[in-house]
This record gives sequence, structure tokens and C-alpha cells, in this order.
Amino acid sequence: MSAAEQAGLEIIAVSPDSNEQSQRLANGLRVSYRFVADRDLAVARSWGLVHPHGGPDGQDVPRPATIVLDREGIVRWFSITRNYQVRPDPADVLRAVRALQTSAAMVRDR
Amino acid sequence: MTSGRLAALSVLIALGAIAGYVSLLRVPLVRNHPEGYIVAFAVATALAALAVVRPRGRRWPAWLALSLSGLLLIGGAWFDFIIARVPVTSTVLRVGERPPDFRLADASGRPVTLSQYRGQKPVVLVFYRGYW
Repeated sequence: MSAAEQAGLEIIAVSPDSNEQSQRLANGLRVSYRFVADRDLAVARSWGLVHPHGGPDGQDVPRPATIVLDREGIVRWFSITRNYQVRPDPADVLRAVRALQTSAAMVRDR
Repeated sequence: MTSGRLAALSVLIALGAIAGYVSLLRVPLVRNHPEGYIVAFAVATALAALAVVRPRGRRWPAWLALSLSGLLLIGGAWFDFIIARVPVTSTVLRVGERPPDFRLADASGRPVTLSQYRGQKPVVLVFYRGYW
């Protein structure tokens, strides 16, 4: 993804990790996501994205999911994994995002 | 092929599968096909079993290879088919609908809401399990 495409898009990563842990992860991966802390899984729970007792110590953890929202906050594409080793192909996410960016460009050109 | 060579090949395939999977975890094709390492472990187990029934040569390398690949096959299958499975839950996500807003703090302590991007830009939300 080009810098320009990334500038026109916000990537928000949600996990129960503390902000310090997320910061370490962000630094390690050198990514410009916004990491937000859903410490008690309140958001994951209200969205129905909790894997009960899925953690290594039997704690509840989020179901890994990737969701593309358009400018109006409407869900345009999403993927929820059935096997936590498996994640959506970045190419599929990119295609969903580009579809939004192209339609926005067409609106601007009119 | 002699029993010893079959055993060595079995070990090579089993360990090679682990090394390959771990080092290529960032490649979506590898990451998204964990059954690949199970197939490799199964092939390694079959080769080791062949090595065990070979009439000539020392037997202990064959038994060693069979225990290694067998354990990896059982462990890998248990992890992939049981541990890593995520149960289906009913979610609020529907294409064409707006999910409820949230307010969470980012790394610098600033609140982040979905509504703040309304009319601004698309958002890709990634829920992940975290590293605890």
C-alpha cells in the first residue's frame, strides 16, 4: 500500500493488551496503526467477538477479525477467522479498501 | 533406500517443515495453510514407518525418526484441529450496517472513537488476540 493510500485510511488495532505492550509491538513491527486497548474486552463483547476461554490460561480473548468500514462507518467487508493461525490475505483487505477509495475519488471528480 | 537413509529423510522433512513454517509465517500463503505442516509430518511419519519395516540395517534410527515424526503429527493435528479453532459467535457485523461506536484509549492515552472518522476516511479495524 502506498503512503498516499495509507494517509487516506485509518488502521485501528484492538486488543486486550495494555498500551505499553501494544507500543512495543508497534515499534517492533514498525507500523503506523493506532493501537487501542480494550482491556476488559467490553468492545469485543458488545460486538459479539469474544472467544470464551480461548486464551492460554482459559481467559476470554477476542476472535481475530478484520473489518473494513467506509467513510460513513458502514461495514463494507469483514473477515472473522475460524482458526486463529489463519488471517485474511492482505490482498483481499487491500481490494476492499481500494474499492472504497476509488468510489470516493469518482465522487470527487464529478 | 536403506533404513538409515529413510529415517534421515523423515527427520529432515519433519524439521524442515517446522523451520519453513516458522520462517515463512509472514507469507499469507504459508500462514493461512497450517495443514501444510500436518501433511509434511504425515509424510515424515510414513517414511519412518517404512524405515522401521526395512529388513536390512540398524533399526534404532528408524524408531527414533518414527517417534519424532509421530509426536509432531499428533501434536500438530491437535493444535491445528482443536486448540487453534475459534468457535462461531453471533456478531453485530453485517455488511451494509453500521456497528455500534466505541471509545477506547490509544497508546498515548487519547480517546479513539469510530464516529470521529465519520465523513473523514475509511477505517480498517483489526481485532487480535493480543500477547497478554
